[in-house]
Amino acid sequence: MESNSLFNKLSSRLEELSNLPKLDEEVSISKLVEEKGFSRREFMTWAGAMTSMLMLPASFTPLVAKAAELADRLPLVWLHMAECTGCSESLLRTATPSIDSLIFDYISLEYHETLMAAAGWQAEENLEHAIEKYKGRYILMVEGGIPHGQSDYFLTIGAHGKTGEQSAKDASQNAAAIFAIGTCSSFGGVQAAAPNPTNATALSNVTNRPVINVPGCPPSESNIVGTLFHFILYGTLPALDVYNRPKWAYGLRIHDACERRGRFDAGEFVEEFGDEGAKNGFCLYKVGCKGPYTFNNCSKQKFNQGTSWPIQAGHGCMGCSEPDFWDKMGIVHEPLGDRLYHTTFGGLGADATADKIGVGILTVTAIGIAAHAAISLVKKPKE
Amino acid sequence: MIKLIEKIEGEAKLNFNFKDDKIDFVDVEFMSTRNIENILRDKRAFDALVINPRVCGICGHAHLIATVEALESCYNNLQLSNKAKAIRELTLNFELIQNHFKWFYLTMLPFFGHKQQILKATYPTQLMGKAIAALGGQYPHTSYAVVGGVVCEITQMDIIKIESYITQTLKFVEDNLVKVDSKTLLACKDADALLDFSGDLPEILIEIKKRDMLNHAKSYDRFIAFGENSFFKKGKSLKARVSHSISLKDVKESEVPSSFAKNVSYKDKYYEVGPLARAMVNKTTLVVDAHKKYGDSLFSRILARVFEILELLNHSKKLIDKIDLDEPSYIEPEFDISKLTSSGYSAVEAARGTLIHKVELEEGIIKNYEIITPTQWNLSGGTREKPGVSQKAMVGLSDIKTAELVFKSFDVCSVCTTH
Ligand code: SF4
Ligand code: SF4
Repeated sequence: MESNSLFNKLSSRLEELSNLPKLDEEVSISKLVEEKGFSRREFMTWAGAMTSMLMLPASFTPLVAKAAELADRLPLVWLHMAECTGCSESLLRTATPSIDSLIFDYISLEYHETLMAAAGWQAEENLEHAIEKYKGRYILMVEGGIPHGQSDYFLTIGAHGKTGEQSAKDASQNAAAIFAIGTCSSFGGVQAAAPNPTNATALSNVTNRPVINVPGCPPSESNIVGTLFHFILYGTLPALDVYNRPKWAYGLRIHDACERRGRFDAGEFVEEFGDEGAKNGFCLYKVGCKGPYTFNNCSKQKFNQGTSWPIQAGHGCMGCSEPDFWDKMGIVHEPLGDRLYHTTFGGLGADATADKIGVGILTVTAIGIAAHAAISLVKKPKE
Repeated sequence: MIKLIEKIEGEAKLNFNFKDDKIDFVDVEFMSTRNIENILRDKRAFDALVINPRVCGICGHAHLIATVEALESCYNNLQLSNKAKAIRELTLNFELIQNHFKWFYLTMLPFFGHKQQILKATYPTQLMGKAIAALGGQYPHTSYAVVGGVVCEITQMDIIKIESYITQTLKFVEDNLVKVDSKTLLACKDADALLDFSGDLPEILIEIKKRDMLNHAKSYDRFIAFGENSFFKKGKSLKARVSHSISLKDVKESEVPSSFAKNVSYKDKYYEVGPLARAMVNKTTLVVDAHKKYGDSLFSRILARVFEILELLNHSKKLIDKIDLDEPSYIEPEFDISKLTSSGYSAVEAARGTLIHKVELEEGIIKNYEIITPTQWNLSGGTREKPGVSQKAMVGLSDIKTAELVFKSFDVCSVCTTH
């Protein structure tokens, strides 16, 4: 029943979208997909994967396929603020010359500083043009923290010499939806680490429009692409947790869906990199895994087209999708243990779910993680 | 007179000054910084392993390797297994390779009137990204290299996977970049012979010749490379005369009043870094031949970068063959870094050239951290009397479009330059 009404809702959203003019009359995504040698079957397989990632029932696959075909109705503007370009890099890695990358290539980012060929006058003109022409219709994705307040000319680019902060504000004004891509634009990011010399801050702090955070350093390509598709499909903003992260991607802790969780429960820990436990895939808590305090879907989506993820490679999660993880989740190769209460969510991270946190329930089990591992927590003394 | 302000990736401006219709000076200005060196101060040594890959998302892996090696050099006799060394070298190679592809297809091709080919850039890039992820867990921004080795416990299966990524990438090179089998190309000693092949690289080289650009983008003809490993040699090359005894002590950074990027010089002179510099120091026959015929020009620079893709793929295969899976991935350092008061440095070859990290530790706390990036070498904002490497290469050109091409042939990147 529930899924029936959702199905209808999404269908009518797509119907509406299909009435909008295409960005380019000459090409269509379905034609392009075909031209590039993908069969209809491959396209549907891709749509199926996207459907399950968005936590929709498999019967919604045709809708997702249609959404992909309609992706050319919504222009995308991508802004760079203070960042390392890692998120764009992550995006460039969307699947083997695949349907994701085709679509991203084709909807062709009305404005993307790294990808677009234009520069200087022309680039700035493109941006202003896109914002004007697609008023109220474009999706804004911002990568990078907003350096804010330190100096007037910070991040000043383009011929008119606008500051980064001003560009972000201006572009936010008439966007249909605003997504902060990556931990930098979501929470300030690495440049905001103490002592935050450039006074960098989250996008949500410089605009009064609602901002959906898609953190991660970088977020996986699937979370970036999924965010776009979610918006195409629903036309509304997704359900969010207390940090404004979409629940479909950030609803679970790394620890909850970790492939080493069985080892944790069995009390089997890597005590030192390279030991027998490491060779056998034991839990990485004692060598610093912050998975119990971090909300993300890495274990399911993985990175680089599902190739691997940090814990699979033998390195603990470092909490990159949590605010201020640089300052709050150290020491990198040691467990948080008894420092639990100075960490994310005021220490609640360990056992709260994204839902409970806003309410501020302190569960006794929060201490459980540390206690569990504490049985042999004391690291062997070194000479 | 300032003719135009042009922007590049990241945040930089070029102010072109003309005299008699020719560029006589170009001011390079970086408008922004994130101040990472400042952020590192007073943090714990290992925090650098988390923070530094984020200095740059484009060559973040080089920053990870530079960080881990700088920290390791603070120890007196830290042990590393050959396996760990080889694995680190492989991931670094893969990062270089994918960078070169993107530079060629996304940045260079459009200058020659070709459409920007995003899919051609992303396909091999993704393969190399996967190869890094297979070892490091993810790319960009892995932290799999730790003081004492690497954390991955790879198996024969992983090796097979990585070999297959290499094979597929090689195939892409043979089908697109230069349409000839890679052995023939690797053995090629004559730069002009490339013009007889077909493929995206020969097309561009032919275009350079046709457009009378063979003499374009010449600079000081001075090259330097500090990163050393089983493939790259350390050294400098002055007009093709190579010497391997160079010291980091002679590298100097100096502030520029109008910019957030510092200048870098070696014995007070500007040197070019990057694939062309590495090939000159390594005496790569094909590239040395191009240099003999066309100097330190656009032609040689593009050829060197693309040819390095092939060499690194080939070398990576050999590296894999040498890996002994029974060796340890990690050897615990003799004492904890929190007891260490010492200083260290490292130099690695990143996609765009030599990357240097220097660190000072006091009981495991970072007291000072300095990063010198490749782009700083090539983009040093010198004066009219003593221009930087890329500045000099632009002098004498008469149009901005060509100047921009020349500038970008150095693969400038401002992301980590202003760290
Ligand atoms: S502590 Fe880390 S490695 Fe262990 S089960 Fe939890 S998330 Fe996985
Ligand atoms: S595992 Fe943790 S640190 Fe790694 S990418 Fe996922 S959230 Fe970030």
